[in-house]
Amino acid sequence: MTARTRGRTRALAFAVCVVALLAFPALFGRYPVRLLQEILIWAIYAMSLDLLMGYAGMVSFGHSAFFGIGGYVAALALARRPDLVGALLLPGAAGAGAALVLGLFSTRVSGVYFIMLTLAFSQMFHAYAFQASWLGAEDGITGVPRPALGGAPLGDPAFHLYLVAVAALAVIGLWRVVRSPFGHVLVGIHENEVRMEAVGYPVRRYKLLAFVIAGVVAALAGALYAQFSGSITPDAFFWTTSGEALLMVILGGTGTLGGAALGAAAFILLQSLVSTYTERWMLLLGVTFVLFVLFAPGGLVGALRGRVGLRA
Amino acid sequence: MNQVTRRSFLRTTAVGAGAAATGIGTGPWVRRARAQGAPLKIGLVLPYTGVYAELGNSITQAMELVFARENWTVAGRRIEMIKEDDEMKPPVGVRKTEKLIDSDKVDILTGPVHSGILMAMRDKVHSSKTILIVSNAGADAISRERCSRWIFRTSFSNWQPCQPMGTWVAKNVTKEVFQIAPNYQAGKDDMEAFRETFLPAGGKVVGEEYPKLGETDYAPYLTKIKQSGAKAVFAFFSGTDAVNFVRQYSQYGLKEGIKLTGPGFLTEPDVLPAQGAAALGVITGHFYTPLLDNPVNHRFVKEFREKFYGKMPDGFACQGYDTAEVIVRAVKAVNGNTQDKEKLVAAIAAVEFDSPRGRFRFDPKTHNVIQPFIYIREVREIYGGLANVPIDKVADVRDPGTGCTLPA
Amino acid sequence: MPSLPDVLGQALNGLAYGVLLFLLSVGLTLIFGMLDIVNLAHGSFYMLGAYVGLATLAATGNFWLAAIAAPVAVGGVGALVERGLLRPLYRRSPLDQVLLTFGLIYLFEDLVKWVWGGRIRSIPPPAAFSGSVRLGSVTIPSYRLFVIAFGLAVAAGLWLLIERTRLGAVIRAGVYDAEMAAGLGIDTGRVFTAVFAFGAALGGLSGVIAGPIQSAYPSMGVSILIPALIVVVVGGLGSLKGSFAGSLLIGQAETFGKAWFPGVSMVIIYLVMALVVLLRPHGLFGRPLK
Repeated sequence: MTARTRGRTRALAFAVCVVALLAFPALFGRYPVRLLQEILIWAIYAMSLDLLMGYAGMVSFGHSAFFGIGGYVAALALARRPDLVGALLLPGAAGAGAALVLGLFSTRVSGVYFIMLTLAFSQMFHAYAFQASWLGAEDGITGVPRPALGGAPLGDPAFHLYLVAVAALAVIGLWRVVRSPFGHVLVGIHENEVRMEAVGYPVRRYKLLAFVIAGVVAALAGALYAQFSGSITPDAFFWTTSGEALLMVILGGTGTLGGAALGAAAFILLQSLVSTYTERWMLLLGVTFVLFVLFAPGGLVGALRGRVGLRA
Repeated sequence: MNQVTRRSFLRTTAVGAGAAATGIGTGPWVRRARAQGAPLKIGLVLPYTGVYAELGNSITQAMELVFARENWTVAGRRIEMIKEDDEMKPPVGVRKTEKLIDSDKVDILTGPVHSGILMAMRDKVHSSKTILIVSNAGADAISRERCSRWIFRTSFSNWQPCQPMGTWVAKNVTKEVFQIAPNYQAGKDDMEAFRETFLPAGGKVVGEEYPKLGETDYAPYLTKIKQSGAKAVFAFFSGTDAVNFVRQYSQYGLKEGIKLTGPGFLTEPDVLPAQGAAALGVITGHFYTPLLDNPVNHRFVKEFREKFYGKMPDGFACQGYDTAEVIVRAVKAVNGNTQDKEKLVAAIAAVEFDSPRGRFRFDPKTHNVIQPFIYIREVREIYGGLANVPIDKVADVRDPGTGCTLPA
Repeated sequence: MPSLPDVLGQALNGLAYGVLLFLLSVGLTLIFGMLDIVNLAHGSFYMLGAYVGLATLAATGNFWLAAIAAPVAVGGVGALVERGLLRPLYRRSPLDQVLLTFGLIYLFEDLVKWVWGGRIRSIPPPAAFSGSVRLGSVTIPSYRLFVIAFGLAVAAGLWLLIERTRLGAVIRAGVYDAEMAAGLGIDTGRVFTAVFAFGAALGGLSGVIAGPIQSAYPSMGVSILIPALIVVVVGGLGSLKGSFAGSLLIGQAETFGKAWFPGVSMVIIYLVMALVVLLRPHGLFGRPLK
């Protein structure tokens, strides 16, 4: 298969997916649709983390900071500007700003220290949001409206279209970033940072940019979540939210954007459906995860491609 | 990559999944009974895993007790309980709520334990006109500015056990109290409720501290309490925090000289066994204790212990009992017609019966339960075990319902 | 203005808490220092230690037996984890090892819940230390004094073991240059398993020792993980001295933070850690990552 036909097949597959997502509500009831929408939102979040982790090689345990910022800014902004500005623009901008500031500090270190520093930042946000009464303290902000495009707040079908559209744009955007020269440099930095420095790339600046892009997309996911569930709580900032995204990326397959989406679906389905039938779903999750790390390091995507086994 | 490793992966996963699956479901998750008519679906959003699973189980068990007594039928319809684990997490709680409302189409929703989940599900419940009977979460807001004609509460509002204690402590213990609660809104509201009656009774708050939720080491706060010269402490803690605080309070020798008081969650049966002798002498205010001396409670305790292998019911079980009673009586009153929501709401609001806690009725102003009594209890050792022994009581405690405007 | 007895009282609290943190974090830092693995499941070892202690106590009524059974059992679990799950990953990136230990957190927590149930259990202190002691105007439970003494003894013992014994030298050699050590006839595989098991055992020991103060519940592993990681980073990953200094520092910072700066007490340890990572990344006594 030439690169061209591969590209065309991919585009076709993507188009088919989008159509299927749009058609979903016509075939299924409200609850499955809501589950799908939640999966889409988490998929966006997980993909942004995959950009950071899988491509740039920066493992962050503080990615929830941007998810939370996006959610809270959306919740606050939509009260005054119930339109796309409040729903997406402001949260995205806030995410960018926060990622810039946090990134300036975090990119000074790497490896385990990067993990710990990003973790510290998101925990600080959590502590603040938990105690700040103007942010609703531990109960967070409720009554978050959906954006109103042309008069009234989006009804169910319109909201679904809106979500799918934003998700598709996020995927396309991230895909373009990953395939661009910038994306290739990131992968190079991941593989051998010293070499890239020696060749003359301003490594820190690249890492910072990757951090900011990932932060913006994560903030958008958080904003969408607030609009989807009608509320946002300090839990969004807690490190376990980052941990869950990490699990999704690993389950799906690091370094493959589609994998993150698959992982998000797998995790949410596990959490919702399996927990209806057994109390031991956490054990199942832990065991599955360990097995994946050992035998299927390429995640679900890797397994589908046949990359399975201890020496993979 | 070769075939051998792929096969071995699949095999290992299958074995792994099988091993995990042997742990699947201890006990039925959906109850059915033999009767005619469209089933009456009762949804439960409760924690069934985690530290608070104790509460979820207590509430559920008491509901099962009542429904079993009715042979799982009411007004010709069989009762179907659909339980969903909310894991004490708002996103999961909201998801499960939506499942119960949209997918299972429950007639009546009950739960949750966590106030955060309650606040997050409130709008969905209100806009979908689903009847929710809150069987635990005590967020005051649900009986105040966030009240809804579709939402009733059989458990308590956080304010109820705290406010009457102000007067009682000022009169019977001391007028110099140190307040301590975890650093979140519910904790602060509880302390506020106490001061409502404590200060006018001549009381003085000599210190206030708000340690973080989930604090494991209270030593710095205990030292401060000692140094403040307080004669008593009013403390709100629940779950693990209650265990650690009460035990450390005793270990630091504060119990001799500084009386420990608080709302009932400080020493409820979910934490009392772990607290052990450290809890002796602690005074708490609550709407229930299994030692209440009335015929309904005697019967409740006896039947609960018979059905659940000697387990003693607690306040949470009482909440579950009352929730199930309300459901049974209201559905009977409308002859099983749960489609007419207005009539069902009116029937629920009108329910009145003898509960283990006393005469049960809802406050029409807030749809919150009117506590027939808040009992002042002391932890004592009786029959070789620890229990909350009632030593006094305050009658007719109603939440003020500030800001709640329900249609009459 | 706080008085001297107030300050001393709080400082004593801080010392007790700091020593507990040390017991918690020393296993984690040793495993990193020796094997370059950030064991996120360290909290799980802590939790397992508490529960094994609980079970032993229930069976024998003897706290000291529990205090021995816990590290032994958890050390065994650690050995199994290292040989069975981590060893296959040594060829792969360190990230995979970290991620595997992350997955173990979920596994162990649910396992414990399955066997022991979800409710909180208390571990009573041994009869010898169940009272309290008055030091001037300060009352402190005698068990906390025991913890201070015990922790200091463990610190001294570990230092002696690693710096002054042949076993320590073997371990240090194996870690510094595995190939060379193997060439000299040292079985590096067994050394690694032993070190990991030892680190796990220390985690388990800290769990049972902390039990009478902090009780036992299934999510205790997750809640202790962050403070342990913070102590280790502040002190310097892999440094015993660093773990000791870091935990005492954090112990005092937390305690005085709670007593005097309640508004920020939730974030104090994160602030301290962020500052250390930014200004002195290898912590107080650590060495740069390889």
